[in-house]
Amino acid sequence: MARKFNCNCFGRVEEVTSKLKVARLNVQLTELEITMPTCPPIPPVAITAYQCVSAAGDDVEALLQSLIANQSCLKPLRLFDIPFETVVGEVASSLPDIRTSLKAYDCRNARLALKALETGNFRADVEYAMARYGVGRVGLVLGTSTSGIYNTENAYAHLLRDRSMPGNFHFQQTQTAQATAEFLQLELGLRGPWYGISTACSSSAKALGAAQRLLAADMCDAVLVAGVDSLCRLTLHGFHSLQLVSPMACRPMDIDRQGISIGEGAALLLLERLSQDNAKHPRLLAVGESSDAYHMSAPHPEGAGAVSSMDMALRLAGRAVDEVDYINLHATASTLNDQAEAKAVARLFPNPPPCSGVKGLLGHTLGAVGAVESVISLLALQRGFLPGTCGLQHPDPQCYCPVISAPRLDLHPRLVLSNAFGFGGNNASVLLEAA
Amino acid sequence: MEWMSLLGFGACVPDPSFRAGLPFPAFDINRDAIPPLLRRRTSQATQIAFSAATVACSQACRRPAALPSIFASVVGEIQTTDLLCIELAKPEGLISPSSFHNSVQNTASGYWSIAQQCIHPASALAAGCDTFAMALLEAWCQLACQGSELLLVCYDETWPEYLAPGRGEPAFASALVLAAGVVEDSLLHIGRPHRGCKSEGFQPVLASLAAKMPVLGAMPLLSLATTGGDGQNVPISPAASGWQVKVSTCV
Repeated sequence: MARKFNCNCFGRVEEVTSKLKVARLNVQLTELEITMPTCPPIPPVAITAYQCVSAAGDDVEALLQSLIANQSCLKPLRLFDIPFETVVGEVASSLPDIRTSLKAYDCRNARLALKALETGNFRADVEYAMARYGVGRVGLVLGTSTSGIYNTENAYAHLLRDRSMPGNFHFQQTQTAQATAEFLQLELGLRGPWYGISTACSSSAKALGAAQRLLAADMCDAVLVAGVDSLCRLTLHGFHSLQLVSPMACRPMDIDRQGISIGEGAALLLLERLSQDNAKHPRLLAVGESSDAYHMSAPHPEGAGAVSSMDMALRLAGRAVDEVDYINLHATASTLNDQAEAKAVARLFPNPPPCSGVKGLLGHTLGAVGAVESVISLLALQRGFLPGTCGLQHPDPQCYCPVISAPRLDLHPRLVLSNAFGFGGNNASVLLEAA
Repeated sequence: MEWMSLLGFGACVPDPSFRAGLPFPAFDINRDAIPPLLRRRTSQATQIAFSAATVACSQACRRPAALPSIFASVVGEIQTTDLLCIELAKPEGLISPSSFHNSVQNTASGYWSIAQQCIHPASALAAGCDTFAMALLEAWCQLACQGSELLLVCYDETWPEYLAPGRGEPAFASALVLAAGVVEDSLLHIGRPHRGCKSEGFQPVLASLAAKMPVLGAMPLLSLATTGGDGQNVPISPAASGWQVKVSTCV
């Protein structure tokens, strides 16, 4: 597949000379098209390393095996007690200790991030980039929804009992949205820009977009993108209060769905500008972002924001809808979300490609989900398969897009779109391409 | 892109004595900036963010619905989150669905997009003591890549005292409307964020204030937007990182 951009190995914004190929749109979208912002193209970037710790296991190989087997990893919660029935995507293996000098950052979220960092060659790959470019030229953007709040919840038990937080409680270093980003930055010795993005379930998909801009604007030569979220009472009780938690493993896009399943995980991706050195790596083409401007916790019923974010990703990359080979749906298994997303796909794609959602396998990893499911999409691109939709038995007739239930090992996608939509009507769509 | 341009700014400071001593215009919470249906539902954080953003858009003569936004806050909806954590620590703890969805970091940006009917991208970020600096850097990158204009809002409500004793006040919000490139008659032209020496940083009094409330890191830039300045580096972070920008009123 020919690249649509004519940019040199530095790939900076000013050097992009190609003309945008405007994505084809349904006639129904005329109104949306008028109100949507113009999108100058952004140079693609290489994803030179990635890793993931999830309920499927401790690395991307375990994740790949799980995707191929398509057997749910959701199990009863072990980390703490909850007064209702559900299953979760919990990371079951032991988590590493935080080094003594960084103990103030110690929380489950930081430990999950450290486990992913130390898996396989990922840390060595980041350190190679630090040595190559200099520590001041490597940035870090982390997406999370609740950061280290599981440990804060434990500290509040102490507060109610003793009227003070425990002595080892460090608020800014554990609970806040930047806490795990700051931990990773100190753990690695990075000196580039770093921040946390917390837009609920679109957080780490938007972190990929922010990282791509840091490279395009020449603020960095490499950016570590992280999506990390850990199980906590707040999200389980919170989604339960919204009557959205399924007692059994969630069944995205299924007519008999009963709600969502929560998971946890840490996914890390290393982004660098395109060069001859990294030509064999898959690429992030663009991240489309939009707001529903509709409701804090319910999606736009017609999926208007989802249409915008998917369309913007294509327009930023100069790609057309018929080039997309597979859509990794957000597909939470909430009825409103599934139906709105399916409508959005049907509206934007005259002939939609195969679609699937993986939350029946791993649970919804919330702020980490954009990074986790980008890693899944990269595995699909690099290993040549389409993930299935674990739990899907009877497709919801109101979901018009072609959702596949079983993995397809006979299809080898080249261009994948991955959706992540969150509270506040905050949408992001990640467009990834094979090498 | 060599410069971005400041088209308008606003500041919201509920504490009247702190507000009175500021070297730039600042206002109390403006109830008219918050749609009636949201007034009882929204936190101090969201209300100060809305108030500052409304002033900035008005000064810049820009429709909020036309602007992508970056909302930056160290602790987000900490008062709502605190109440939820207290409830969750009780054996019978029950939490309300609206409190839950109003506890996310992007509550202010979400309500802003709904209230203004703005379908453009909205981000919510945090970077500890570098929060304002990283928000300005994110703004720079968005404008460098996509051109046009955007709204940046940097805010924090007061924090429950026991979470970080001695820190977390006063509540403060600032908002900037920024445009890519050099715009004539803008308030200030702002250069690319970069790291300088810590010695070029904050005056000691302001440094001690910003150590308690990191979003006060916007104050030197807001001061210069009021008094004017030319060719000088202005600190944008009270942290040791030393982030700063060059500013100019005539490029």
